[in-house]
Amino acid sequence: MSTETLPRTVERSLWANRLRSLLTQENIVTIIVSLIVGAAVILPLITLFISSFKVLDPLGWDTTWGFGNYVTLFTDRIIPKAFVNTLIISSGSTILATVLGVSLAWINARTNCPGRDYLEPYNLIPFFLSPFIGAIAWHNLGEPQTGLLNVWAREIFGFEGALMNIDTIWGVVWVTGIFFAPLVYLFVVGSLRRMDPSLEDSARTTGAGLVRTTMTVTLPLVMPGILSGAIIVFVTSAGEFGVPFKLSAPYGWETLTTQIFSKAVGDDANHFLGATMAMSLGIITVFLIWIQQRYIAPRSFTTVTGKGFRPNVLDLGQWRWVAFGYNLSFIFVAVILPIACLIIVSLHPVWTGKIVPEAMTFNNYVKTLFFWREDSIQAATNGIVNSLILAFGGSTIAMVMALVVSYMIHRTKGFGVRLLDFLSVVPIGFPGIVLAMGVLVTYIQTPIYATLWILMLAYITRFFPYGQRNISAIMMAISEELDQSSRMAGASWFTTLWRITIPLLKPGIFAGWILLFIIFLRELSISIILFSTGTETLSVGVYYLTNFENEPLTAALSMAQTVVLLIAIYVFRRVAGREALTA
Amino acid sequence: MTDFLKPMVEIEHLHKTFGPETAVKDFNLSIAEGEFVTLLGPSGCGKTTTLRCIAGLERPESGEIRIGDEIVVSPEKDIYLFPEHRNIGMVFQSYAVWPHMTVFDNVAYGLRVRRASSAVIKKQTTRALELVGLDQLAERYATKLSGGQRQRVALARAIVYEPKVILFDEPLSNLDAKLREQMRDEIVRLQKEVGITSVFVTHDQSEALVMSDRVVVMDKAVIQQIGDPQTIYANPVNAFVANFIGVTSLLEGALLGRTGEYCDMEIELGNGQAPLRIQAVGGDGAEQGSSVILSLRPEDITLHTEAPSGTSYGNLLEGSVIDTVYLGSFLECRIQVGSHEIGIQIDHFEQLEPGQKVFLTFQPNHGLALAS
Amino acid sequence: MDSETQSGTYLEVQNLVKWFGDDPAVDNISFGIPKGAFLTLLGPSGCGKTTTLMSIAGLHSIDSGRIRVGDVVYTSPKEGLFLPPEKRDIGMVFQSYAIWPHMTVTQNVAYPLEIRKVPQSEIDDRVADVLELVGLTDMAEKMATQLSGGQQQRASLARAIVAQPRLLLFDEPLSNLDLKLREQMRVELKRIQNEVGITSIYVTHDQSEALVMSDEIIVMSKGHIEQRGGPLEIYSRPVNEYVSNFIGVANLIKGRVTQVTEPGRGTVQITDHGKDIQVACNLGPGISEGSDAVLSVRPENVHAERENGDGASLEGEVLQAIFLGSHVDCRVQWGDFEWKVIAHPRAHLKAGEKVYLRLDPEHTLAVQP
Repeated sequence: MSTETLPRTVERSLWANRLRSLLTQENIVTIIVSLIVGAAVILPLITLFISSFKVLDPLGWDTTWGFGNYVTLFTDRIIPKAFVNTLIISSGSTILATVLGVSLAWINARTNCPGRDYLEPYNLIPFFLSPFIGAIAWHNLGEPQTGLLNVWAREIFGFEGALMNIDTIWGVVWVTGIFFAPLVYLFVVGSLRRMDPSLEDSARTTGAGLVRTTMTVTLPLVMPGILSGAIIVFVTSAGEFGVPFKLSAPYGWETLTTQIFSKAVGDDANHFLGATMAMSLGIITVFLIWIQQRYIAPRSFTTVTGKGFRPNVLDLGQWRWVAFGYNLSFIFVAVILPIACLIIVSLHPVWTGKIVPEAMTFNNYVKTLFFWREDSIQAATNGIVNSLILAFGGSTIAMVMALVVSYMIHRTKGFGVRLLDFLSVVPIGFPGIVLAMGVLVTYIQTPIYATLWILMLAYITRFFPYGQRNISAIMMAISEELDQSSRMAGASWFTTLWRITIPLLKPGIFAGWILLFIIFLRELSISIILFSTGTETLSVGVYYLTNFENEPLTAALSMAQTVVLLIAIYVFRRVAGREALTA
Repeated sequence: MTDFLKPMVEIEHLHKTFGPETAVKDFNLSIAEGEFVTLLGPSGCGKTTTLRCIAGLERPESGEIRIGDEIVVSPEKDIYLFPEHRNIGMVFQSYAVWPHMTVFDNVAYGLRVRRASSAVIKKQTTRALELVGLDQLAERYATKLSGGQRQRVALARAIVYEPKVILFDEPLSNLDAKLREQMRDEIVRLQKEVGITSVFVTHDQSEALVMSDRVVVMDKAVIQQIGDPQTIYANPVNAFVANFIGVTSLLEGALLGRTGEYCDMEIELGNGQAPLRIQAVGGDGAEQGSSVILSLRPEDITLHTEAPSGTSYGNLLEGSVIDTVYLGSFLECRIQVGSHEIGIQIDHFEQLEPGQKVFLTFQPNHGLALAS
Repeated sequence: MDSETQSGTYLEVQNLVKWFGDDPAVDNISFGIPKGAFLTLLGPSGCGKTTTLMSIAGLHSIDSGRIRVGDVVYTSPKEGLFLPPEKRDIGMVFQSYAIWPHMTVTQNVAYPLEIRKVPQSEIDDRVADVLELVGLTDMAEKMATQLSGGQQQRASLARAIVAQPRLLLFDEPLSNLDLKLREQMRVELKRIQNEVGITSIYVTHDQSEALVMSDEIIVMSKGHIEQRGGPLEIYSRPVNEYVSNFIGVANLIKGRVTQVTEPGRGTVQITDHGKDIQVACNLGPGISEGSDAVLSVRPENVHAERENGDGASLEGEVLQAIFLGSHVDCRVQWGDFEWKVIAHPRAHLKAGEKVYLRLDPEHTLAVQP
């Protein structure tokens, strides 16, 4: 009709117009971040894979290509045993953590156990603390000669010999089990709380009693959560380095992680064999996580209804005090006892298993924390400074990446979104020590090796998915129309991000930031592979002290780390609220 | 209710509080065997709480509930039967179909807990599924079903073991409009076929009118009126019921006296206009001179664009058009009469302009005076 | 701001095509509307109405076609043009209200003006005016989360109109509200649109909403336009079976046109148990002598009577009479066909009763199948 009044814009060439409509703020940022994430995640894994086929000759001079390293996994004197030990530890701690996690979740979510709302935060504390430090504390509690519990058993109850010996493979199961119980708890408690109560009511009105309803309706409905939690615990235990390193490796129970460590930095270092072991551990864990993500997580039934419900609460009668006692015992064993023990040990100049009130001193704290003093220990003070830099800087960068990645996954329909979604799950499948091996072999000949940057890179690559999940959870809950209406109001993509999207996501961003801060501050298994003199981290400092100095100094630095973590946990809880972590 | 034989559910002096809030107050109702009774009211009126007390999912503070010959709850006599011992069926708003079981397993559950033989389970479950038209989907998982299908599963699950009573807790409110009407007819058909005593809770008055033998209208924890749908609609006992069931215009006035079966009323028009005198039915319980409310249904009012001649209609109201809203099958028109607003329905061929002067008439027996 | 085009068409959508994967969501539709009009796109979910709206808004790209408002081309893939949504100067009201929960009502409404760098004093004035228009003056300093659903939708409307955009788009804005509020809000929305006079496009699947609010309605199905017209026209003269069925309730009976008595009028032959019956009726467009047609009769235009007054009524039996308060929904069996009839409650029709159905030729319409 009025085609002769075409607007001016058409006069530009067709291709210039097309290019202009492609080069939006949105597309440019998307492409850049995709490339960074892709490189960070894929590069180390590819190098790790390639390195595992490089066989070092017996003199350590030259390499040839072949399957030699994989043969060595089976023929070596120690490695096959390490495999078996890892399997025992993972299975044992999975069983223990599942029993503890499910029972505590059920007590807190579905019974009238006294004070359950107040106990919950304390049930979760072990999730945030370092299991390595838990192992150190339990070593001081359960070591046959000087362990506090053994000493008390002998002195107070006249016990002969030792009540327990924590320095065994079973000690590792115990410590990892109680420290990872909150993981199962978090996977289960959400579905217990959010379950539509009429699912159970209808079983009751249909004629099933309480027990039958629990066994045929409640339990099957939370089973996907339980299985997910169990798999995550299995994988995390298999990748745990600090606990077996402290409790079992020195006494003859090597695990895959302690073996990878010795191949990475030990006297008989062989990066290629280390890479091979990391590959095989990684294949197992990735397979398990793939099962969990592909088959178990989607079956989580509570996501079907999605709405918030007030769950049915079971009246336990007098048994509620038993539940209360059980809950308190867990907190005592997993939180109070280890921390109390660390405090006691850290106040003694030397530790012999006896509490000597008159000898108590703060000297150990002075030596480890006061870095301007001459008698300060270099590794400890370096660790404090480096860890704070890594925790502040790393979690900030990681959250920026997490924000952009989740925005792209949930808000854009462009190319590469599926790939990005996949890439941000992959790191979860690889234990830190495996990824660290990959980063080591990738960057060992570049200038970033032996700097803090390599640690930062590995930390972010491994852990940014956690931050991303925090943001994604909120992003999925808020309507896309909130963004769209800002565009319609005339704001550009970037203005919308800055004024609408980010403010709405603020709680998720902050919660994610603190969570990463906590993880980075206690990180051990990546740091232990990638540190060098001058770039020790807090946990590496603890490692150094426990290896070369004495228990009281170790306890002092451990306490310092624990106190910072406890503060961060408190802040996290205030910011994120109760539901933030529940899967 | 003479069509029904003996009472199946009896509720006496039921009382239930949540903290400081009274949810149900002195609730008395007797439901006959095979009867379909609806508890109707706005949210928070206590209808769901009453239903959950019958089911045993809530425990009342006082009162007594009997199902069949059995006392299922009576705090005074220290009796409380768990839901599973009451032999009832219940259908929930959220369907509550167990997602980890197949359709067949969902429906068979009640028979399994009753330790029925596998032959009986197979036979009865199949029959129940046929009744709701889901026999083809027996092996499907519940998560793969649509909302309407899930509600059918819930229905089959509740009737399969032939309970004494079936309880419905707003089962249709999660369905969309078309499906809701379809399921509504389905439930009525099924209930008549199986002949099971039913208690149905809803906030939707049209559901209540269509489905029920009797309707119990509740508000603020108290029963307002009990009656069959026609009675409730035509003879509401108070302004709340008149307004809640159907559409009505409520005009405040005063009762002057009675002429035969009719009440003489005076309605204030405000703005210095002379009050309007009309005749209506009802007015039970109102004293002469006391204030009453006139309830007028839109479909009972006739509209005239010119002053009607003759006096075949006793009641004549004069007003002007506020606006008309086109609703397809008819126009909804609001008329200003003095200080009152009256809603009427007219055919869509009539042309009305806002501000136009019109006349409304209604027969005395179509206007209902309610004691206020 | 922008000059009117000569033709009087302000918004023009030409040959719009949008594919989602292998399915054409919108398949070559064109329409135009004059400035200030209120047009509703009506259809069931998946008919392409929301896709059309999103194409106008620029919230997704289109595969071909051209959209223009005034003399600004919004999008035209052939010319390589795509104006990003923020440059289109559109106000939009969403189904979920999309009120930003981290801002107050005033901040929400002021946002489009701030983006346009309007001076603060003017912002204050305009926000106050528009809040008064939608009746939220008292709520100005409340956080958005403290508002009820209806209030949020008012705030959302205020935000959409405050910058006086070229176009106002509504994406099923009332479907999250409950029934009573919905009826109240549609009258209100229409009033406000009338007052500000911004050209509006409204998307809904609710036919009664469309009838109440619109100047014009476009009925869509499967990516096509079925009919375009005013509410009364669409309701009383649907062009085909689909529209007749979608708008309101209709009895649809297959038949054949036997006679055209005068333009637009004729008789249609329908069959009852082998007995042919001639029904006088209005003829819709595209209906000629000898062609197959569908008779469309609204339930309120079928009169059920106990006596066969003129002898030409259809004899049937009441299957079901559902009491709905103000009226009774009846089903009347006539041969294999079930008539839907609306009767007055005081007629006291009962199931099993014999009745005669009288059709009014004026309100009986033959349409294309």
